[in-house]
Order: sequence, then C-alpha cells, then structure tokens
Amino acid sequence: MLHRTQNLTRILLLLPALVLLAALTIYPLVTVVYYSFFDYHYVRGFEGFVGLDNYRNLLGDLFFTVSVRNTLVFALLATSSQLLLGLAFALLFNRPFRGRQLFVPLMILPMILSTMVVSAIWRAWFHYDFGFLNNVLRAVGLEGVRWLFDPGIALYSIALVDLWQWTPMVFLILLAGLQSIPGEYYEAARIDGANGFQVLTSITLPLIKGHLFLAALLRTVDAFKLFDKVYALTGGGPGISTESVSTYIYREGFRYFNVGTASAASIIMLAVALTLTLVYAGQVLRGQRR
Amino acid sequence: MTAARARRYLQGALLAVATALALTFALLPIVWLAGTSFKSPGEFTSRQPTILPREFTTMHYQLLWAEGFPRRLQNSLIVTVGATLVSLVVAFGAAYALTRFRFPAKLDVLFLFWVLLVKMVPPIVIAIPLYQVLRLLGLLNTLPGLIVVYQVYTLPYCIWLLLGFVRDVPIEIEEAAAIDGASTWQTIQRIVFPLIAPGLVATAIFSSILAWNEFLYALLFVHSPALFTLPIHIANYITEHETLWGRLMGIGLLSSLPVLILSGFIQRYLIRGFAMGLK
Amino acid sequence: MTIGRWTRLVGCALVALVLALPSALAQPSGNLVIAGRDGVFGEALGLATGWFAEENPGVTIELLRLPYAGLYENLVISLRERSGAFDVVMLDDTWAPEFMAAGWLRDLEAAGMAINPGFVRSALDASRYPFAEGPLFAVPHVGNVLLFAYRTDLFEQYGLERPGSWTDVLAAAQTISEQADGVHGVVFRGIRGNPIVTGFLPLLWAYGADIIDADGRAAFDSPASVAAMETFLALKAFAPVGVEVYNASEVRDALQRGVAAMAIEIWPSWIPALDDPAVSEVVGQVEIMPAPGQVAGPSPMLGSWLLGVAADARNPQTAQAFLEFVTSDEIQRRLALEVGLPPTAEGPYMDAEVVARYRWYPAQLEALQNARARPRIPEWSQVESILGDYLQFVLIGQMTPQQAVPEAHRRIEAALRR
Repeated sequence: MLHRTQNLTRILLLLPALVLLAALTIYPLVTVVYYSFFDYHYVRGFEGFVGLDNYRNLLGDLFFTVSVRNTLVFALLATSSQLLLGLAFALLFNRPFRGRQLFVPLMILPMILSTMVVSAIWRAWFHYDFGFLNNVLRAVGLEGVRWLFDPGIALYSIALVDLWQWTPMVFLILLAGLQSIPGEYYEAARIDGANGFQVLTSITLPLIKGHLFLAALLRTVDAFKLFDKVYALTGGGPGISTESVSTYIYREGFRYFNVGTASAASIIMLAVALTLTLVYAGQVLRGQRR
Repeated sequence: MTAARARRYLQGALLAVATALALTFALLPIVWLAGTSFKSPGEFTSRQPTILPREFTTMHYQLLWAEGFPRRLQNSLIVTVGATLVSLVVAFGAAYALTRFRFPAKLDVLFLFWVLLVKMVPPIVIAIPLYQVLRLLGLLNTLPGLIVVYQVYTLPYCIWLLLGFVRDVPIEIEEAAAIDGASTWQTIQRIVFPLIAPGLVATAIFSSILAWNEFLYALLFVHSPALFTLPIHIANYITEHETLWGRLMGIGLLSSLPVLILSGFIQRYLIRGFAMGLK
Repeated sequence: MTIGRWTRLVGCALVALVLALPSALAQPSGNLVIAGRDGVFGEALGLATGWFAEENPGVTIELLRLPYAGLYENLVISLRERSGAFDVVMLDDTWAPEFMAAGWLRDLEAAGMAINPGFVRSALDASRYPFAEGPLFAVPHVGNVLLFAYRTDLFEQYGLERPGSWTDVLAAAQTISEQADGVHGVVFRGIRGNPIVTGFLPLLWAYGADIIDADGRAAFDSPASVAAMETFLALKAFAPVGVEVYNASEVRDALQRGVAAMAIEIWPSWIPALDDPAVSEVVGQVEIMPAPGQVAGPSPMLGSWLLGVAADARNPQTAQAFLEFVTSDEIQRRLALEVGLPPTAEGPYMDAEVVARYRWYPAQLEALQNARARPRIPEWSQVESILGDYLQFVLIGQMTPQQAVPEAHRRIEAALRR
C-alpha cells in the first residue's frame, strides 16, 4: 500500500461495484422495509398504512410460524449432518493413496449440478412405487418408505437431498484445513503414544476449528434459504410440513400478491439470517490464526 | 504375518472399502441420471432397481432437442457469459482499488463486510423490489435484466475471490513498473492481468457455475417461454401430469455437462476459494 | 378544375381501397404466442396449432405448456405487466372473474369474432363477466365437467348397486376394500391446491353446503361442511397408500391398472384411456355418472377451460382467427377423436363417429348442460388455496374436520375482505 493515493483512479475503479451493490441491495432493502408497513396488493394497489399489523399477523399465523420452524430445523439438521459426513470424507481422503488426485474432483461433482437437476434425480428416486430407493429397499425385503408424503418424514427427505448435494462443499473446506496441518504434529503425537481417537480430538479438530466454523456458517446460511428443493420436490406439502420461509414469501408475494405481508415476512427472515451470520462470523473471526 | 502387519492390511482394506463407499455415495445418482436418460419408457415403472438401461434408446434426447432445448441452452449461455463478464470487470476494479490504495476510516473493511452481508441475504427477500427496479428500467422479462440481477449472486463471490488473487501479486513488481514510468492502467494491463490470469479464469468459471444453475430469479423475472433458462426448462419437465423421467434425466445430463467439464479445471481453485474465506 | 378535383378524390379513394383490401382479406400472419396447459390439453393445442399453421402458412406459433399453478402465475404476472408476452391465453373458468374484472382480456364480441352458435350454455356463461350477462371475454375450449366412475364388474361381483348417495359410496368402498384382493375401494387426488379442492367440492355441494353464499360472503362454517369433510376423510381409509399426494397421473394410473373400484373425480379427458387396451386393464368395465347427491341432488361441477385473447396481445387478429378455428365444430370433433378432448359445442357431441368411439358422451353432454360453476369471485385462487391447505391437514390427520372448518372459514373471510 505504498502508492500515492490517486483519488480519481481508486474511486473510478471502485465505483461500479459500489453503484451496482447499492442499487441491488440497499435500495431493495429499504423498499422492502417500507412496503412491510402497508397493505399493498400487487393487482389492487396500495390499500393503506397498517403499521406493525403485518408483522403481528405473521407472528400469529400458524402457516408462517411453522415455515420458520421447518426452515430452522432443516438448517440445523442439514448443517450438522453435512459437517459430520464432510469431516469423515475429509479424514478419509487426507491420507495419500493412489488415485487420490482423480477421486477428489469426482467427490465434488454433486455440488456442481444445478439444484433443479439434483431435485429431478431425487424426485425420481423418492417415488413410492417405482423409485430407485424403494425398489432397493423392497429388493432386500424391506418396506418402501413414504419419502415425500409422510408429513413426519418429508422434511428429512429434503435434508437428505441437501446432504448429498452439499457435503462435497464441507468436504473441500475441511480437506483444505486438514492438509494445512504439518505432519510433524502427528508424528510427535504418535511418539507420545496417542491413539487415533486422541489425535483426532486433541490435535486435528482444534487445528481446523476455523474451517469447521466457516463450513458451518456457509452451510447454515445457505440451508436457511431453502426454496428450490421444496419447489421441485413437494411444493410445501404434505400439509405444510415442508413449507420454508422462502416458499411462504413466494406464495404470499407472487401467488396471492400480498406484497405488504410478503415484505414483512422478508424482513423477519432477514433479521434471523443476519443474527445467524453475526454469531458465526464472530466465531470465525475469533478462530483465525494471524 | 505379524499381528501388526495383519492389522495394517485390515486397516488398508477397510479404508479402501470406505473410500469406495464414499465415491459411490457421490457418484451413484449421477451415473443413474445418465443411465436413465437412455432407458426405454417401459422401464420407468419397473420395480427393479436398475441403473443401466435394458433397452437403450436415444428417443428422449431427440424429443428434448425438438422441444426447445437449443433455445434454452442459448439463453443460459447468454445470461451466464454476460453476468460473468460484468462481474469480472466490476469485481476486478473493486479488488484492485481495495488492495492497492489506502482508504480513509477503514472504508475498505466496511465495504468488504457489506459484500459479505450481501452474500448472506436470502435472494427472495429482495425479489419484489428488484422486480420493480427491472420494470422501471424496462428490463423485466429480458435476458439483460437477468444479467443485472445476477450480480447479486456473482459480484460478491467475484470480489472475494479476486481480492485474494490480486493480493498475491507482489507490490514490488508494480512499484518497479511505476519507477519505469508506467501509469496505473498500463501496470494493470501489462503486469497484473497476466499474473492473475489463472485466478481470473478460476473466478470466471466459479461465477459461471453460479449463474448457470440459478433458479429463483429466472423463475420470477422472466415469463416469456422463449427466454427461459435451462433450470426453468427443467422445472417444467417436473410437471403436474407426468413425470417424464427419460426426458427429465436427459435434460439434466445435457445441462450439467458444461459445468461438469468446467469444474474439472477449477478443482484446485475451489479448494483455494474456500480457504480464502478465512483471510 | 372541379372535375379534376373529384377525379383526384375518387382516385385516392380507389387507391386507398386497393391498399386496404389485401389486409382486409389478409391471411392470418405473423407470430402467435400461446400460453396453455400441459398434459392432454397441451397435446390438443399442439395438434390444433399444427393444423392452423398448415392452413395459414404465414403464421408461426409458439406454444407454452405449463402445469396448473405455473400457468396461473405466469399469466397474472405477464397480463398485469401488459408485457405483450402472450397473444392467446388458456384459463380455468375459476380464474375468469379475476382476469376479466382486471380488464386483461379482449372483448371478443366487440372485436367482431365469430362465435360458435352451438356452444353449451353453461360454459358460455362462465366466459362472460359478469357471469352470464356481461361481455364475452373468452370462449370455452375444453368442456370439462366433473364426473364419477365406478367398476361395473366389481359392483356386480359384490352385489352392489350403482351408488345413489355418498353413504352408498362409502359402504361400497368398504365392502370392496375388505373383500377384493389388491383392489382399493376408492381413489382421488389428495395433493394440496386445486386438485384436492376439486375432488372435494361435489361432496361439499352434495351435503348442501357451500363456500361462498349468494352475496359473495364466506359461508363455509356449517355442520354440513363438517359432515362433508368427515365423509371425505373416511374415504381415505379405502384409498391407496400415498393418496394424500396423488395427482391426476396417479389417479388415472390406479383406475387403468384396475386397483381402484371408484374414482370420485374423473374428467372427460381421462376417460378414453380406460377403454384403450394398450394402457387399460379394465376395458369396458368402467361406468361414468354424475357424482352422487346426498342431501342435495347431484350438481355436476363445471371445470371448463377457456381461451382468451390478451388485451396486450401483439397479434390480436391472428389470435382471434385461431380462436375461431379451434372452437369450430369441425376442429372440436377432430380433437375429441384424436386425444379425447371434451368439446364445448353441441355439434360434436352428436356426431356419429364421436359417439361410437365414446359411449358415454351423451351422458357427459347432459352433465355439461346442467353443470354448476364454482364461485365467481376474483379472489377464488386464494380461497381455493386456503381450502386446499385445510383439506390436506384433515387428510393427513393433523386436524379434525371440526377444527379445520371454522379456521378455514375465518381465513376465507379475511381473504374476501381485502
């Protein structure tokens, strides 16, 4: 940073990014906050200032509160299961073996696919009568599972799809972390007579804490935005057991055209997302090695 | 054979099995996708779990091609390339400005924090105002309109990634050029670009994958059938009346091939990209 | 000089006439964008557009086939934006009040379109806004009327009579489910949204209940509604596993493979396949009738699909020409024969070849002529969505009918008040 501060140049270079982000984020956010205080219908227009009524109605609306609960349950479940499986895969692939260079790129293929393609595959696999999963289960003598129409199971089925699609991301992050641990640490531990489990808990995990939190942050925030999979797999059903906050906002805003309500729901969703982000970000910043 | 050696062999075997299971977990659905796209329609209602077709047919691909796949492919290409180009140019400017120039009052840290926040905002939250912005600009239901709104997705990532790559260029090289009388623009052009070229490529591919797979905004902001992108086209195949599995899997495979191939080139950078989140 | 001036005037007029004549006699031309349904409706429009393009070589047609909800959203957004994305739009008769009240469709009679005189009255009424009296903003394209189907062979085998009431239906379903091997007594569409509501409405009306009263206010909260819901829930016990997410393809499949003895909701376009040996195992064994009554007599539900010209259409002339084409007796006859699309004009129903192919068409025509339309309110989409959600809750056991009915009523009231 020893250049002379050339004001014009640096502003010119930064300006496009500033303008775009302001137009695409600040303006919309302010507008959403504004709309949330009105009774505004897309086709019929503005129908009056209602203050906090939209918010009050939402918090008292079973459909909304269930969607929030579903989303949080899903985010928690998806993140924790992906962390576990991703860690297992990362530990597995951290050892040098023949063909590893080829296998790692193969392991990350699921997250490269578009969510629509992933949903298409799993929609076919979850089919009760002819789906691949139930066919396999029946072939070994078990009963078929009601993947997408048992209200108690449907959300977990979607979490399973998310697990398949995004574990590779956790795997990559954690693998990078593992590979940055110098081999001497393991040797020293072995000399001291530590067994595998002790090595894992006392050396490996603490050293990749930052990576673990980063993975948890990224996956939680992503899982919170759940929309595409619900749209393609269940449409929010059965009942409202797979309704997420995003699908709720989508229905209110783009099907019933109640823009005021949808905006209020968006603000609530944003508040929760930001809280999650700040909590995690704090952990990540603290976990950094400088 | 000693007990230790036997145990090591066993360990090795177990690890090999575990690795094979991991690979199966990741790849089986994709292989099934490919296989099913070539199955004859009768096999879809079979109760046997099968991966490879018993009766090979390319009819689904022929139907797909006739039903407008090329047009949707073109749309996706236009939007992806457009969004990535815009993001690269804009993000490079921002990254360079942030790393090479001093900013007062920690504005640069603030800006980066803002970029992080943008990544965290759920896209649906700002969908309605964005809809109206597009309408005002006359960009609703147009591909350029999508290119603009996709900046919400691609710009933050590009800024983060390019930041790391630009930082890696040693300042001494640029200073040497400055001493030799090069202006900022010349320095950027002749020195910085070549050095970060692989980073640019990686960022471009990363951003392209994001734009290629995007669904929500394409669903909301485009309603003319001729302008649908591939994800929307795929969603239409998961229709109310028939689950046209052959065509569904076929179009899944076709639309994934470009990104699958590209990802092979950036596997290294994907790892680096995520590690970069910590810096 | 006066002569000169007159000559010039006449000359100009002649020139104008000559220039105008070609466009007056012009063949339909240009590009036509049509938003329609998928499934069999998509097939029908696909055929019709192909024939139209053959007769009018200057026309290129783009046909969009969308699922139910997708078509609705797409239409609302593009019609409201006046983006000119579509020329011809296909709409469910329940969307008509909303679209027509907002002025999104062209007044066809005022635009000089030739209206088929043989249109069935009930369907034509639904194409007007206000209902039956106002201008004609669309023309009926699919003469859908909700019917009921049962297996004559199974009924005979177990000594059952043709169901005269829903109590009969329940009893028959129980008998068959318990005694017949591998056959369920009944099948219906349980998936939330338009499907489950459409299956439920004839039941609701049969018990003498309704959703909206004559003044347009919510009237759902009544003992009759609860009774109807209880019967609906009781049917689930005799339906296949997974019926709570069944949609059209699953119901049709169950009927065709012979694993369901009754379908409480069957649409005319589903029926031809039942007599097609290539896909059906119950050829000639399914009888069609209007849904039974209970407290109130049978009132077949109208479910017609209409075709309209968007107010912001880029090519309204050609769009209109296409509408005239596809709703003509001849094309309706051909569509009925080719894909089983139920006509909306009386002519095709009387055609000898059609009746020979579809033995139930006279009964279907009668049902159509006496069909009852769903509530004509612009907010129907939201009301239907609310009702669909609560029906699903009851069906999957998360609520009792006693809990669901008053709550649904309250939400419907709130939706109507806006």
